[in-house]
Amino acid sequence: MRGTTRKSCRRSAKPVTLSFMTQSKVLFRPSEEEILEQEVKRHILITPWGGLLKMLDPLYNWGRRSSLWPLQFGLACCAIEMICTAASRFDIARFGAELFRASPRQADLMIVSGTVTKKMVPMIVRLYNQMPEPKYVISMGACASAGGPFKEGYNVVSGIDKFLPVDVYIPGCPPTPQALLHALITLQKKIDGQSIKTVRWYGKPEGEEVPVPLLGPDLVDVRRAEEIREKCASPEGQAKPVPLPVMIPAPKATPAQADGVSPAAAALSERINKALGEVVAAPSGNSLMIESSALPKVARYLQLQPDLALDYLSNLTCTDYQDCYEVVYHLFSTRRPGPAVTLKVQMPKEDPRVPSLMPLWPGADLQEREVWDLFGVRFDGHPNLKRVLMWEGFEGHPMRKDYLEPYYEAPDKIFPSRWKEGRHQRAEERTPFSDNVKYPAGFDPARWSAPKEGFASAPDTLVINLGPQHPSTHGVFRMQVRVDGERIVALEPVMGYMHRNHEKIAERNTWLMIFPYTDRLDYICSMGNNLGYAIAVEKLLGVKPTERAEYIRVIMAELTRIVNHFWATGFLLNDLGAFFTPALYAIEERELILDLFEMASGSRMMCNYMRFGGVAADLPEEFLPLCNSLVNNRLPKAIEQLDRYLTKNEIILNRCRGVGVLPRDAAIAYSAAGPVLRASGVEYDVRKAEPYSIYDRFDFKVPTFPEGDVYARYRIRIAEMWESLKILKQALKEIPNGEILAGKKLWNIRVPAGEAYGRVENPKGELGYYVVSDGTDHPYRYHVRAPSFINLTALGKMCEGHLIADVVAILGSIDIVLGETDR
Amino acid sequence: MRIYGLELLRGLTITLRHFVTSYMGGIFTVQYPEERLKPPERFRVLPVLIFDGKKEEQWKPETERCTACGICAKVCPPQCIWIVQGKDPATSKPVAKASEFFIDVDVCMNCGFCAEYCPFDAIKMDHNFELGGGERDKSHIFDINKLHVSTEYYAETHPKAWSEEQGRKKADADKKAAAAAMKNQMGSDPAGSDPNRVSV
Repeated sequence: MRGTTRKSCRRSAKPVTLSFMTQSKVLFRPSEEEILEQEVKRHILITPWGGLLKMLDPLYNWGRRSSLWPLQFGLACCAIEMICTAASRFDIARFGAELFRASPRQADLMIVSGTVTKKMVPMIVRLYNQMPEPKYVISMGACASAGGPFKEGYNVVSGIDKFLPVDVYIPGCPPTPQALLHALITLQKKIDGQSIKTVRWYGKPEGEEVPVPLLGPDLVDVRRAEEIREKCASPEGQAKPVPLPVMIPAPKATPAQADGVSPAAAALSERINKALGEVVAAPSGNSLMIESSALPKVARYLQLQPDLALDYLSNLTCTDYQDCYEVVYHLFSTRRPGPAVTLKVQMPKEDPRVPSLMPLWPGADLQEREVWDLFGVRFDGHPNLKRVLMWEGFEGHPMRKDYLEPYYEAPDKIFPSRWKEGRHQRAEERTPFSDNVKYPAGFDPARWSAPKEGFASAPDTLVINLGPQHPSTHGVFRMQVRVDGERIVALEPVMGYMHRNHEKIAERNTWLMIFPYTDRLDYICSMGNNLGYAIAVEKLLGVKPTERAEYIRVIMAELTRIVNHFWATGFLLNDLGAFFTPALYAIEERELILDLFEMASGSRMMCNYMRFGGVAADLPEEFLPLCNSLVNNRLPKAIEQLDRYLTKNEIILNRCRGVGVLPRDAAIAYSAAGPVLRASGVEYDVRKAEPYSIYDRFDFKVPTFPEGDVYARYRIRIAEMWESLKILKQALKEIPNGEILAGKKLWNIRVPAGEAYGRVENPKGELGYYVVSDGTDHPYRYHVRAPSFINLTALGKMCEGHLIADVVAILGSIDIVLGETDR
Repeated sequence: MRIYGLELLRGLTITLRHFVTSYMGGIFTVQYPEERLKPPERFRVLPVLIFDGKKEEQWKPETERCTACGICAKVCPPQCIWIVQGKDPATSKPVAKASEFFIDVDVCMNCGFCAEYCPFDAIKMDHNFELGGGERDKSHIFDINKLHVSTEYYAETHPKAWSEEQGRKKADADKKAAAAAMKNQMGSDPAGSDPNRVSV
């Protein structure tokens, strides 16, 4: 049939032209061919090739639009919303897109969900290249589209579309699951409009890949290598001079009798000097100034004195002052409650060095590496001092005050270019390379050779990389594992793939502006992050929140703990192979709590709800009844269900018991915090050890388990949820009416000069904020003690001797969030 | 003898139970786009500017609420707001109106500070989240025309905040009227009682 049609088509072509030519002669008598043609047209359906293809298009498009398989790949906060979209409330399966594939070779949709960092973008491009055509890209959220709120950061790419072709952009930070579904529908509509004749993947030459960018002194787009070389050879490639941030002199050691010196600090320094027989310590405010060379001796003394028992190195960071670098140590005792003992060591600006505390506290490992990475302070005696958040070869130490990012505009916000004559200008337009990059003068990408990284090879062992794109690393985290057969000989965590310069940006922000950024640290627990920051700054401000605000804060913080532990338990089961079913039910309860957060604060995840002296807005009237019914009816049932079905499950028992054991002493020495510390038998909880807010009024226990294995870390979370429910019930019963903010609502706050370390027991462990104020409207130094980051220090120790498959379970039991790990 | 797999079956009963209860208590899934979650009033996506008027009306400088005071731009954490203060065309003196207003939605973090700290109820957080599109270079810089929505629209999305605002304004007006009445009655003005008073 079809043959006939085509033949007649061809035959009829010639006579028609003839008939035109002979038209004047034979006017009204059509030729035989014309009659034949008309007959053919009348009785036989003629479809030209193009028409046939057009008929095929709906079918062709329907097939692709209805089976968009996303890559199981998440970058940051938006990925959490993406996971929620796949869970039962929004159910992406209704669109045929539920098959999240762990391998790019099976996926055809890449949802770039979150901040694209320079360290991660080579992997993203590689993943994209590995996806077979047809493939689509959804850029989810402001960060993926253009860098978002982190755009100004030194490790952030200004939009994934600089490297990959994007089909749909979703504004929002983060877009809600419904917004992602809307984008999916938009993409489906786009696919509906495509035609098999014009789609890009037919007739495309093989091997047409996006060139993978290079990590040089900064990110190098190799397609622009020649341009970069040329510009770097001339002054054109260097940034124009701009005003530097103002630096302040460091606080100095003072005589014990001086004003502002705490008697405790004075007494302790005197005791140290006496015991060690030399003058190595002096008080300075609330802290002790220690001679650099005597630091290990002093630390050892403080650790061993039975009445002090400062066995827990909680926080270690650095401040860049005008005249020196100052490394700060916050020490606590796990055996007695009380505030921190702060040690400080100052060192000159030229070649700053300090002895490493690794021999005393292996928990100093990652923190010392972070200080080296970001400040360039060397720790003598550290066995593995290399960069941790940025990559080896990166130019500069970015937390130094004189390090200016490519998009640096002014020393601190508020930028004058925004108001009165605020004509919109993209940050790209101000830089020599029209991008968030800068290179040293004379840099030539062709000559760049990257420094070697990784383990030294050893006979009979093999080095395996898990991550940064791996379905069970809970984000963009990488583990370098050396295995002997299936057994792990050594493991090293590699992070920084989501390092989005939280601290650097915060030091430019005003005090208030930091609140929404803290939401994006541990984005599962934004309320807890808000609370920690508020408490640290309230210490300096001397503000006491109102009674009602305190109760609201506690309610929110404990709801957050339940949210987090549901999530952590669900995803631990994911890692154990019970893929997504337990997580689905865990996420269901979480959704209901998120509804409460959204009702009170306006956002499911990025609550931005606390303010100095209170909270942003009072609870809406429907909040308390809903919260009460959730806390009294639904949540106990859900926790009970988790407990009943999981705790005695034979697979869980077999895979978790005796795996990843962290003994009690090691847990303390490795600075483990939160559930990881308590699962090793240490009864230490900031809510009891240094009660903040109004936790001293509630009756609750601190659950501990002595085993220190994955199973104990699972069970401690269930136990903590019960305790949180207990606190919630009390708080909901006692919550008073009244004001929700102490004092007036101010948008620009000046904080008195000084420094404070505020800490809260966040669901993942001790979350600390170290803030230094110079009396202006923005912090001089702002540091986050991130429990997810520091808990990873012990990961290598926990994994040694276990099987590769156990690594996944051990990591899941630590419960990390990359937003906080990398900050 | 140990029987293996019992725990597995036990786990499967959860799924079975959810399956059965879905026929009794309804399903948990929200069937977007046919059905939507009702956003709570405080739900925030992107900021919008408010003008006094009806939905079908166009924004005009006379109905604009923004006074170009710049607080939203100053309080914005990622600094994604740009404002040009308007000028009187005759005298070219600055006036309390914004002539241009930009929000870079690819930088905005939806934190809601601009709306929270605006003293004139001129900038608010919108509920519209269906913003996905195929282009960002031009369409993601919202200008003053794109940003403006009517008070009628705002009253629909934020009924409580709207009625509170109306109540507040009415109370202020009543107070002012009372003060004016008092002033007329007494014949002399109590100094400094009215902050809007222009001293001669």
